[in-house]
Amino acid sequence: MKADTLAVHGGFAGDGGSGASAVPICQTVSYAYNTAQALADAFAGRAPGYIYTRIANPTTTALESRLTEFEDGIGCIATSSGMAAIASAVMALVKAGDEIIAAAGIFGGTVSLFENTLTRFGVKTTFVDVADTSNFADALNDKTKLIFIETIGNPRMDVPDIPAVAEIAHKAGIPLIVDNTVTTPVVFKPGEFGADIVVHSTSKFINGHGTAIGGAIIDAGNYNWREGPFDQIKNLSQRVGQLAFLWYLRNVIYRDLGGCPAPMNSFLLLQGLETLPGRMAKHCENAEKLAQFLQSHPNVSWVNYPGLKTSKFHDRVTKLFAGRASGLLTFGLGNKEKAFEFIDSLRLAKNQANLGDAKTLVLHPASTIFGEFDADELGPMGVTAEMVRVSVGIEDFEDIKADFEQAIERAFKEKE
Amino acid sequence: MNLVVNGKNTDITDGLTVSELLTKEDVKMPQMVSVELNGKILKRSEFETTRLRADDKVEFLYYMGGGTCL
Repeated sequence: MKADTLAVHGGFAGDGGSGASAVPICQTVSYAYNTAQALADAFAGRAPGYIYTRIANPTTTALESRLTEFEDGIGCIATSSGMAAIASAVMALVKAGDEIIAAAGIFGGTVSLFENTLTRFGVKTTFVDVADTSNFADALNDKTKLIFIETIGNPRMDVPDIPAVAEIAHKAGIPLIVDNTVTTPVVFKPGEFGADIVVHSTSKFINGHGTAIGGAIIDAGNYNWREGPFDQIKNLSQRVGQLAFLWYLRNVIYRDLGGCPAPMNSFLLLQGLETLPGRMAKHCENAEKLAQFLQSHPNVSWVNYPGLKTSKFHDRVTKLFAGRASGLLTFGLGNKEKAFEFIDSLRLAKNQANLGDAKTLVLHPASTIFGEFDADELGPMGVTAEMVRVSVGIEDFEDIKADFEQAIERAFKEKE
Repeated sequence: MNLVVNGKNTDITDGLTVSELLTKEDVKMPQMVSVELNGKILKRSEFETTRLRADDKVEFLYYMGGGTCL
Protein backbone atom coordinates (compact mmCIF):
# COMPACT_ATOMS: atom_id res chain seq x y z
CA MET A 1 0.00 0.00 0.00
CA LYS A 2 1.12 3.58 -0.68
CA ALA A 3 1.50 6.01 2.23
CA ASP A 4 -1.85 7.79 1.68
CA THR A 5 -3.70 4.45 1.79
CA LEU A 6 -1.65 3.00 4.61
CA ALA A 7 -2.36 6.08 6.70
CA VAL A 8 -6.08 5.31 6.62
CA HIS A 9 -6.18 1.50 6.46
CA GLY A 10 -2.88 0.27 7.95
CA GLY A 11 -2.88 -1.97 11.01
CA PHE A 12 -6.64 -2.36 11.33
CA ALA A 13 -8.99 -4.20 9.02
CA GLY A 14 -12.19 -3.26 10.85
CA ASP A 15 -13.77 -4.74 13.95
CA GLY A 16 -15.27 -8.10 13.05
CA GLY A 17 -17.67 -8.03 15.99
CA SER A 18 -19.30 -4.63 15.69
CA GLY A 19 -18.31 -3.59 12.16
CA ALA A 20 -16.70 -0.42 13.51
CA SER A 21 -14.32 1.01 10.93
CA ALA A 22 -12.69 3.44 13.36
CA VAL A 23 -10.33 1.65 15.76
CA PRO A 24 -12.30 0.97 18.97
CA ILE A 25 -10.88 2.40 22.19
CA CYS A 26 -10.31 -0.55 24.52
CA GLN A 27 -10.34 1.41 27.75
CA THR A 28 -9.53 -1.48 30.04
CA VAL A 29 -6.78 -2.32 32.49
CA SER A 30 -6.83 -6.08 32.10
CA TYR A 31 -8.47 -8.95 30.22
CA ALA A 32 -10.63 -11.81 31.49
CA TYR A 33 -9.90 -15.47 30.62
CA ASN A 34 -12.38 -18.32 30.82
CA THR A 35 -10.07 -20.72 32.60
CA ALA A 36 -7.18 -20.49 35.05
CA GLN A 37 -5.07 -22.53 32.62
CA ALA A 38 -5.70 -20.09 29.75
CA LEU A 39 -4.47 -17.13 31.81
CA ALA A 40 -1.51 -19.16 33.09
CA ASP A 41 -0.61 -19.97 29.44
CA ALA A 42 -0.79 -16.30 28.48
CA PHE A 43 1.42 -15.34 31.42
CA ALA A 44 3.96 -18.00 30.50
CA GLY A 45 3.99 -16.86 26.86
CA ARG A 46 2.73 -20.29 25.72
CA ALA A 47 -0.30 -18.67 24.08
CA PRO A 48 -0.71 -15.13 22.76
CA GLY A 49 -3.18 -12.97 24.59
CA TYR A 50 -3.69 -9.62 26.25
CA ILE A 51 -3.02 -9.63 29.98
CA TYR A 52 -2.57 -6.11 31.25
CA THR A 53 -2.59 -2.77 29.40
CA ARG A 54 0.86 -1.83 30.76
CA ILE A 55 2.15 -4.64 28.51
CA ALA A 56 -0.25 -4.57 25.54
CA ASN A 57 -3.69 -3.23 24.57
CA PRO A 58 -5.76 -3.81 21.40
CA THR A 59 -6.09 -0.10 20.53
CA THR A 60 -2.37 0.33 21.00
CA THR A 61 -1.75 -2.81 18.92
CA ALA A 62 -3.51 -1.15 15.97
CA LEU A 63 -1.26 1.91 16.39
CA GLU A 64 1.84 -0.29 16.61
CA SER A 65 0.84 -2.23 13.49
CA ARG A 66 0.19 0.95 11.49
CA LEU A 67 3.52 2.45 12.55
CA THR A 68 5.31 -0.81 11.70
CA GLU A 69 3.85 -0.68 8.20
CA PHE A 70 4.64 3.03 7.82
CA GLU A 71 8.30 2.50 8.74
CA ASP A 72 8.42 -0.83 6.88
CA GLY A 73 9.83 -2.41 10.03
CA ILE A 74 9.41 -5.80 11.68
CA GLY A 75 7.55 -4.56 14.76
CA CYS A 76 6.78 -1.63 17.01
CA ILE A 77 6.17 -0.86 20.66
CA ALA A 78 4.20 2.30 21.36
CA THR A 79 5.07 4.25 24.48
CA SER A 80 3.56 6.96 26.64
CA SER A 81 5.91 9.64 25.25
CA GLY A 82 8.88 10.13 22.96
CA MET A 83 11.18 10.25 25.98
CA ALA A 84 9.74 6.94 27.21
CA ALA A 85 10.56 5.48 23.78
CA ILE A 86 14.15 6.74 23.82
CA ALA A 87 14.74 5.79 27.46
CA SER A 88 13.30 2.29 26.93
CA ALA A 89 15.16 1.60 23.68
CA VAL A 90 18.49 2.80 25.07
CA MET A 91 18.11 1.13 28.47
CA ALA A 92 17.42 -2.17 26.74
CA LEU A 93 20.91 -1.97 25.25
CA VAL A 94 23.25 -0.34 27.78
CA LYS A 95 24.54 -1.18 31.23
CA ALA A 96 26.93 0.52 33.64
CA GLY A 97 30.34 1.01 32.02
CA ASP A 98 28.95 1.24 28.47
CA GLU A 99 29.16 4.28 26.22
CA ILE A 100 26.91 5.99 23.67
CA ILE A 101 27.81 8.23 20.75
CA ALA A 102 25.13 10.83 20.05
CA ALA A 103 24.76 13.68 17.59
CA ALA A 104 25.32 17.16 19.02
CA GLY A 105 22.39 19.54 18.66
CA ILE A 106 19.61 17.04 19.34
CA PHE A 107 16.50 17.51 21.48
CA GLY A 108 17.31 18.89 24.95
CA GLY A 109 15.27 16.19 26.69
CA THR A 110 17.40 13.50 25.07
CA VAL A 111 20.58 15.38 25.97
CA SER A 112 19.40 15.54 29.59
CA LEU A 113 18.61 11.80 29.59
CA PHE A 114 22.10 11.00 28.29
CA GLU A 115 24.07 13.61 30.24
CA ASN A 116 22.25 13.66 33.56
CA THR A 117 20.20 10.53 34.10
CA LEU A 118 22.23 7.83 32.34
CA THR A 119 25.48 9.24 33.72
CA ARG A 120 24.15 8.49 37.21
CA PHE A 121 23.80 4.86 36.11
CA GLY A 122 27.39 4.69 34.81
CA VAL A 123 26.69 5.22 31.10
CA LYS A 124 28.78 7.87 29.33
CA THR A 125 27.75 9.72 26.17
CA THR A 126 30.03 11.48 23.69
CA PHE A 127 28.34 14.12 21.54
CA VAL A 128 29.77 14.67 18.06
CA ASP A 129 29.24 17.21 15.29
CA VAL A 130 27.39 15.44 12.46
CA ALA A 131 28.67 17.72 9.69
CA ASP A 132 31.85 15.62 9.53
CA THR A 133 30.79 11.96 9.57
CA SER A 134 34.29 10.78 10.52
CA ASN A 135 33.61 12.22 14.01
CA PHE A 136 31.45 9.16 14.71
CA ALA A 137 34.25 6.73 13.81
CA ASP A 138 36.76 8.76 15.83
CA ALA A 139 34.56 8.61 18.95
CA LEU A 140 34.14 4.81 18.84
CA ASN A 141 35.80 2.60 21.42
CA ASP A 142 35.25 -0.94 22.68
CA LYS A 143 32.73 0.29 25.26
CA THR A 144 30.46 1.94 22.67
CA LYS A 145 27.15 0.09 22.47
CA LEU A 146 25.06 2.30 20.20
CA ILE A 147 24.94 5.45 18.08
CA PHE A 148 21.99 7.83 18.45
CA ILE A 149 21.06 10.52 15.91
CA GLU A 150 18.06 12.57 14.80
CA THR A 151 17.14 12.82 11.11
CA ILE A 152 17.04 16.59 11.49
CA GLY A 153 18.54 17.73 14.79
CA ASN A 154 16.14 19.79 16.86
CA PRO A 155 16.99 22.65 17.22
CA ARG A 156 20.39 22.72 15.48
CA MET A 157 18.80 21.55 12.21
CA ASP A 158 21.85 19.41 11.37
CA VAL A 159 21.26 16.50 9.00
CA PRO A 160 23.60 13.53 9.48
CA ASP A 161 24.73 11.42 6.53
CA ILE A 162 22.56 8.59 7.87
CA PRO A 163 23.73 5.75 5.54
CA ALA A 164 27.38 6.60 6.31
CA VAL A 165 26.73 6.68 10.08
CA ALA A 166 24.91 3.33 9.79
CA GLU A 167 27.93 1.86 8.02
CA ILE A 168 30.22 3.05 10.83
CA ALA A 169 27.91 1.53 13.46
CA HIS A 170 27.61 -1.78 11.62
CA LYS A 171 31.37 -2.08 11.09
CA ALA A 172 31.67 -1.75 14.87
CA GLY A 173 28.91 -4.37 15.33
CA ILE A 174 26.56 -1.97 17.14
CA PRO A 175 23.08 -0.64 16.26
CA LEU A 176 22.15 2.82 15.00
CA ILE A 177 19.09 4.41 16.64
CA VAL A 178 17.47 7.16 14.59
CA ASP A 179 14.88 9.59 15.96
CA ASN A 180 12.51 10.18 13.04
CA THR A 181 10.18 12.60 14.86
CA VAL A 182 10.87 15.65 12.71
CA THR A 183 10.79 13.96 9.30
CA THR A 184 8.22 11.16 9.96
CA PRO A 185 8.09 8.09 7.68
CA VAL A 186 6.19 10.16 5.11
CA VAL A 187 9.37 12.10 4.34
CA PHE A 188 12.00 9.52 5.28
CA LYS A 189 12.21 5.89 6.35
CA PRO A 190 15.48 5.49 8.29
CA GLY A 191 15.34 1.69 8.01
CA GLU A 192 15.74 1.92 4.24
CA PHE A 193 19.04 3.76 4.81
CA GLY A 194 20.56 1.42 7.38
CA ALA A 195 19.02 2.47 10.70
CA ASP A 196 18.38 -0.44 13.06
CA ILE A 197 15.94 1.12 15.51
CA VAL A 198 13.64 4.04 14.77
CA VAL A 199 12.16 6.09 17.60
CA HIS A 200 9.47 8.75 17.57
CA SER A 201 7.82 11.33 19.66
CA THR A 202 4.39 10.68 18.16
CA SER A 203 3.11 13.75 20.04
CA LYS A 204 4.48 15.89 17.21
CA PHE A 205 3.69 15.55 13.48
CA ILE A 206 2.12 12.10 13.83
CA ASN A 207 -0.46 13.36 16.32
CA GLY A 208 -0.54 16.64 14.47
CA HIS A 209 -3.20 18.31 16.57
CA GLY A 210 -1.57 18.74 19.96
CA THR A 211 -4.01 16.36 21.62
CA ALA A 212 -1.96 13.38 22.85
CA ILE A 213 1.53 12.64 24.13
CA GLY A 214 3.06 9.46 22.72
CA GLY A 215 6.14 7.70 21.46
CA ALA A 216 7.18 4.64 19.50
CA ILE A 217 10.09 2.24 19.00
CA ILE A 218 10.29 0.39 15.69
CA ASP A 219 12.75 -2.39 14.91
CA ALA A 220 13.67 -1.81 11.27
CA GLY A 221 14.88 -5.40 10.92
CA ASN A 222 18.44 -4.55 9.88
CA TYR A 223 20.37 -5.54 13.02
CA ASN A 224 21.20 -9.18 13.63
CA TRP A 225 20.31 -9.71 17.30
CA ARG A 226 21.72 -13.25 17.11
CA GLU A 227 25.12 -11.55 17.12
CA GLY A 228 26.31 -8.33 18.73
CA PRO A 229 27.35 -7.43 22.26
CA PHE A 230 23.92 -7.68 23.93
CA ASP A 231 23.92 -10.98 25.82
CA GLN A 232 20.44 -10.39 27.29
CA ILE A 233 19.01 -10.13 23.76
CA LYS A 234 21.33 -12.61 22.05
CA ASN A 235 20.19 -15.37 24.40
CA LEU A 236 16.55 -14.58 23.66
CA SER A 237 17.13 -14.71 19.92
CA GLN A 238 17.52 -18.47 20.21
CA ARG A 239 13.83 -18.56 21.18
CA VAL A 240 12.28 -15.68 19.28
CA GLY A 241 14.79 -15.02 16.49
CA GLN A 242 14.94 -11.51 15.11
CA LEU A 243 12.12 -10.38 17.41
CA ALA A 244 14.50 -10.65 20.37
CA PHE A 245 14.94 -6.88 20.84
CA LEU A 246 11.20 -6.17 20.75
CA TRP A 247 10.50 -9.20 22.94
CA TYR A 248 13.07 -8.03 25.49
CA LEU A 249 11.57 -4.56 25.46
CA ARG A 250 8.00 -5.78 25.85
CA ASN A 251 8.70 -8.32 28.56
CA VAL A 252 11.44 -6.57 30.52
CA ILE A 253 12.29 -2.88 30.04
CA TYR A 254 8.95 -1.56 28.79
CA ARG A 255 7.06 -3.67 31.28
CA ASP A 256 9.33 -2.70 34.16
CA LEU A 257 9.47 1.04 33.44
CA GLY A 258 5.73 1.26 32.81
CA GLY A 259 5.82 3.68 29.87
CA CYS A 260 2.65 2.41 28.16
CA PRO A 261 0.30 4.75 26.32
CA ALA A 262 -3.29 5.33 27.43
CA PRO A 263 -5.68 3.62 24.97
CA MET A 264 -7.40 6.97 24.32
CA ASN A 265 -4.05 8.45 23.28
CA SER A 266 -3.37 5.52 20.95
CA PHE A 267 -6.73 6.26 19.31
CA LEU A 268 -5.88 9.97 18.91
CA LEU A 269 -2.49 9.07 17.42
CA LEU A 270 -4.16 6.70 14.94
CA GLN A 271 -6.48 9.54 13.94
CA GLY A 272 -3.44 11.75 13.43
CA LEU A 273 -1.72 9.16 11.25
CA GLU A 274 -4.70 9.14 8.88
CA THR A 275 -3.94 12.67 7.67
CA LEU A 276 -0.16 12.64 8.12
CA PRO A 277 0.83 12.40 4.42
CA GLY A 278 -1.30 15.40 3.43
CA ARG A 279 -0.20 17.46 6.41
CA MET A 280 3.50 16.72 5.90
CA ALA A 281 3.31 17.94 2.30
CA LYS A 282 1.84 21.24 3.49
CA HIS A 283 4.27 21.57 6.44
CA CYS A 284 7.21 21.13 4.06
CA GLU A 285 5.81 23.54 1.48
CA ASN A 286 4.97 26.27 4.00
CA ALA A 287 8.29 25.91 5.86
CA GLU A 288 10.30 26.28 2.67
CA LYS A 289 8.35 29.40 1.70
CA LEU A 290 8.67 30.89 5.20
CA ALA A 291 12.42 30.17 5.28
CA GLN A 292 12.83 31.96 1.94
CA PHE A 293 10.72 34.90 3.12
CA LEU A 294 12.70 35.25 6.36
CA GLN A 295 16.02 34.92 4.53
CA SER A 296 15.10 37.89 2.36
CA HIS A 297 13.93 40.03 5.33
CA PRO A 298 16.38 42.83 6.24
CA ASN A 299 15.78 42.51 10.01
CA VAL A 300 16.43 38.76 10.16
CA SER A 301 20.10 38.00 10.94
CA TRP A 302 20.08 34.39 9.79
CA VAL A 303 17.73 31.50 8.94
CA ASN A 304 18.50 27.86 9.62
CA TYR A 305 16.41 25.52 7.48
CA PRO A 306 18.17 22.54 5.89
CA GLY A 307 15.91 22.80 2.85
CA LEU A 308 17.43 26.15 1.88
CA LYS A 309 19.97 25.97 -0.93
CA THR A 310 22.36 27.97 1.26
CA SER A 311 22.30 25.31 4.01
CA LYS A 312 25.39 23.13 4.31
CA PHE A 313 23.00 20.20 4.70
CA HIS A 314 21.03 20.89 1.50
CA ASP A 315 22.76 18.08 -0.42
CA ARG A 316 21.82 15.56 2.29
CA VAL A 317 18.21 16.83 2.28
CA THR A 318 18.14 16.28 -1.48
CA LYS A 319 19.72 12.83 -1.27
CA LEU A 320 17.87 11.47 1.76
CA PHE A 321 14.58 13.37 1.96
CA ALA A 322 13.97 14.05 -1.76
CA GLY A 323 14.32 17.75 -1.01
CA ARG A 324 11.63 17.91 1.69
CA ALA A 325 13.05 19.29 4.94
CA SER A 326 9.93 19.07 7.14
CA GLY A 327 8.29 21.95 8.97
CA LEU A 328 10.84 23.11 11.51
CA LEU A 329 13.17 26.10 11.22
CA THR A 330 15.03 28.58 13.40
CA PHE A 331 15.99 32.18 12.79
CA GLY A 332 17.77 35.04 14.55
CA LEU A 333 16.53 38.53 15.32
CA GLY A 334 19.70 40.09 16.71
CA ASN A 335 19.13 39.66 20.43
CA LYS A 336 16.86 38.13 23.07
CA GLU A 337 14.77 41.29 23.49
CA LYS A 338 13.88 41.41 19.79
CA ALA A 339 13.07 37.69 19.85
CA PHE A 340 10.73 38.21 22.82
CA GLU A 341 9.09 41.27 21.23
CA PHE A 342 8.55 39.33 18.01
CA ILE A 343 6.92 36.43 19.87
CA ASP A 344 4.74 38.79 21.91
CA SER A 345 3.58 40.52 18.72
CA LEU A 346 2.39 37.42 16.87
CA ARG A 347 -1.37 37.21 16.38
CA LEU A 348 -1.83 33.88 14.60
CA ALA A 349 1.16 31.74 15.62
CA LYS A 350 1.10 30.35 19.15
CA ASN A 351 3.95 30.60 21.66
CA GLN A 352 4.16 27.10 23.05
CA ALA A 353 6.56 24.21 23.70
CA ASN A 354 5.54 21.77 21.01
CA LEU A 355 6.15 21.13 17.34
CA GLY A 356 4.45 19.34 14.50
CA ASP A 357 1.03 20.78 15.30
CA ALA A 358 -1.30 21.76 12.45
CA LYS A 359 -1.03 25.29 13.87
CA THR A 360 2.12 27.38 13.49
CA LEU A 361 4.00 27.42 16.81
CA VAL A 362 6.96 29.49 17.93
CA LEU A 363 9.29 29.16 20.89
CA HIS A 364 12.33 30.87 22.39
CA PRO A 365 14.42 27.75 23.10
CA ALA A 366 17.18 29.37 25.22
CA SER A 367 14.72 30.51 27.91
CA THR A 368 12.38 27.49 27.78
CA ILE A 369 13.23 23.94 26.68
CA PHE A 370 16.97 24.65 27.00
CA GLY A 371 16.61 26.85 30.10
CA GLU A 372 18.32 24.24 32.30
CA PHE A 373 21.60 24.50 30.34
CA ASP A 374 24.36 27.07 30.92
CA ALA A 375 25.35 29.55 28.22
CA ASP A 376 28.57 27.64 27.45
CA GLU A 377 26.58 24.43 26.99
CA LEU A 378 24.06 26.06 24.63
CA GLY A 379 26.57 26.87 21.88
CA PRO A 380 27.28 23.26 20.87
CA MET A 381 23.55 22.58 21.01
CA GLY A 382 22.98 25.30 18.43
CA VAL A 383 20.93 27.48 20.79
CA THR A 384 21.47 31.23 21.04
CA ALA A 385 19.65 34.01 22.89
CA GLU A 386 18.46 35.64 19.65
CA MET A 387 17.04 32.40 18.23
CA VAL A 388 13.36 31.74 17.61
CA ARG A 389 12.20 28.23 16.67
CA VAL A 390 9.23 27.89 14.37
CA SER A 391 7.12 24.82 13.75
CA VAL A 392 5.41 25.86 10.56
CA GLY A 393 1.77 24.85 10.43
CA ILE A 394 -0.60 24.02 7.61
CA GLU A 395 -2.47 27.35 7.51
CA ASP A 396 -2.60 29.33 4.27
CA PHE A 397 0.96 30.53 3.74
CA GLU A 398 -0.06 34.13 3.06
CA ASP A 399 -1.63 34.34 6.54
CA ILE A 400 1.53 32.94 8.20
CA LYS A 401 3.70 35.35 6.24
CA ALA A 402 1.51 38.35 7.10
CA ASP A 403 1.63 37.42 10.80
CA PHE A 404 5.44 37.12 10.80
CA GLU A 405 5.81 40.32 8.75
CA GLN A 406 3.76 42.41 11.17
CA ALA A 407 5.40 40.85 14.27
CA ILE A 408 8.94 41.55 12.98
CA GLU A 409 7.89 45.08 12.13
CA ARG A 410 6.50 45.65 15.61
CA ALA A 411 9.54 44.12 17.29
CA PHE A 412 11.84 46.55 15.50
CA LYS A 413 9.52 49.55 15.62
CA GLU A 414 9.15 49.56 19.40
CA LYS A 415 12.90 49.94 19.89
CA GLU A 416 13.21 53.00 17.65
CA MET B 1 5.08 -30.48 -0.01
CA ASN B 2 6.64 -30.43 3.43
CA LEU B 3 7.28 -27.37 5.61
CA VAL B 4 8.69 -27.09 9.10
CA VAL B 5 6.23 -24.95 11.07
CA ASN B 6 7.23 -24.12 14.63
CA GLY B 7 9.59 -27.09 14.54
CA LYS B 8 6.99 -29.61 13.29
CA ASN B 9 6.75 -31.15 9.82
CA THR B 10 3.60 -29.91 8.10
CA ASP B 11 2.20 -30.96 4.73
CA ILE B 12 0.85 -28.10 2.61
CA THR B 13 -0.37 -27.49 -0.93
CA ASP B 14 2.31 -26.30 -3.35
CA GLY B 15 2.43 -22.54 -3.90
CA LEU B 16 0.71 -21.55 -0.66
CA THR B 17 1.36 -17.95 0.44
CA VAL B 18 2.24 -16.97 4.01
CA SER B 19 -1.22 -15.36 4.40
CA GLU B 20 -2.85 -18.61 3.30
CA LEU B 21 -0.69 -20.59 5.71
CA LEU B 22 -1.82 -18.35 8.60
CA THR B 23 -5.44 -19.19 7.73
CA LYS B 24 -4.75 -22.89 7.19
CA GLU B 25 -2.96 -23.22 10.52
CA ASP B 26 -5.70 -21.17 12.25
CA VAL B 27 -3.03 -19.01 13.86
CA LYS B 28 -4.15 -17.28 17.02
CA MET B 29 -4.38 -13.47 16.97
CA PRO B 30 -3.15 -13.13 13.36
CA GLN B 31 -2.96 -9.34 13.75
CA MET B 32 -0.27 -9.84 16.38
CA VAL B 33 1.77 -12.63 14.83
CA SER B 34 5.17 -12.13 13.28
CA VAL B 35 6.36 -14.67 10.73
CA GLU B 36 9.98 -15.74 10.54
CA LEU B 37 10.81 -17.52 7.29
CA ASN B 38 14.17 -19.32 7.23
CA GLY B 39 15.53 -17.06 9.97
CA LYS B 40 14.31 -13.73 8.58
CA ILE B 41 11.25 -11.81 9.82
CA LEU B 42 8.89 -11.04 6.96
CA LYS B 43 7.38 -7.59 6.59
CA ARG B 44 3.60 -7.71 6.88
CA SER B 45 3.34 -6.43 3.31
CA GLU B 46 5.16 -9.59 2.19
CA PHE B 47 2.63 -12.03 3.70
CA GLU B 48 0.42 -12.08 0.61
CA THR B 49 3.22 -12.11 -1.93
CA THR B 50 5.59 -14.63 -0.36
CA ARG B 51 5.04 -18.17 -1.64
CA LEU B 52 6.37 -21.01 0.46
CA ARG B 53 8.80 -23.58 -0.90
CA ALA B 54 9.49 -27.16 0.13
CA ASP B 55 11.43 -27.52 3.39
CA ASP B 56 11.04 -23.85 4.34
CA LYS B 57 11.27 -23.26 8.08
CA VAL B 58 8.42 -21.08 9.35
CA GLU B 59 8.07 -19.78 12.90
CA PHE B 60 5.01 -17.96 14.22
CA LEU B 61 6.28 -15.53 16.84
CA TYR B 62 4.66 -13.04 19.19
CA TYR B 63 6.19 -10.20 21.16
CA MET B 64 2.98 -9.11 22.84
CA GLY B 65 4.35 -10.50 26.05
CA GLY B 66 3.29 -12.30 29.12
CA GLY B 67 3.61 -11.23 32.69
CA THR B 68 6.24 -13.75 33.72
CA CYS B 69 9.74 -12.55 34.47
CA LEU B 70 12.56 -14.04 32.45
